[in-house]
Amino acid sequence: MKYAALLTNNADAVAAWERMTPEEAAAARALEVPKWEALFNELGPTGALGSGFELDSPNTAKTVRVRDGETIVTDGPFAETKEQIGGLMEIEAEDLDAAITIAAQIPVAFTASVELRPVIEH
Amino acid sequence: MQYLALIYGEEARWANLSPEQRESEMSEYMALSQATVTRGGNELDSTATATTVRVRGDETLVTDGPFAELKESLGGYYVFECDSIEEACTWAAKIPAARHGSIEVRPVYVDGGETS
Repeated sequence: MKYAALLTNNADAVAAWERMTPEEAAAARALEVPKWEALFNELGPTGALGSGFELDSPNTAKTVRVRDGETIVTDGPFAETKEQIGGLMEIEAEDLDAAITIAAQIPVAFTASVELRPVIEH
Repeated sequence: MQYLALIYGEEARWANLSPEQRESEMSEYMALSQATVTRGGNELDSTATATTVRVRGDETLVTDGPFAELKESLGGYYVFECDSIEEACTWAAKIPAARHGSIEVRPVYVDGGETS
């Protein structure tokens, strides 16, 4: 089964990142990178991880709607939620339990959440 | 640069469309899947099938449902390769859900801000 794992961050943490100077952000990022490398080193060889995307901060988002033929583009994410999507990863797992075991190893699961959604294969 | 177009819409809407309307919209989605800028994408099963995982301390907490309950929920996404977010937005506007829901366009993070 293919699952999409939606990786979230806490809004408070996102706001803190946005207040950092580039140097502070680089230092904070350097602390996070080894956690992700450990995940990829462990799960990469198993073939469980498909394409993944780390998204730029929600404040870089634009939201697009078309109403009565007119395209309306607004700055910012679609919804202000307590946890916000910061990345997305495809997971190949035998069943939901196996997908949960993988999700529980993703660094953001420890601070925010990982939402698993089955992918509809066309 | 790559952009994710996150597709939000009301889930109940699809069930209320006629077979002709569904076929017409599905063919628009299929055409977008084949577009020159499209690098990937997925349709997600409904939020009723969602499972949210959190780890606190040594405990793995698993809850049914999405991480946030919204009136419009995430139903899928495309990955677009575009020169700018403005160009990505013009492609997002071609997604059928843009006409009744919302498409959130997000740049994929590039380390050091370099374009690829």
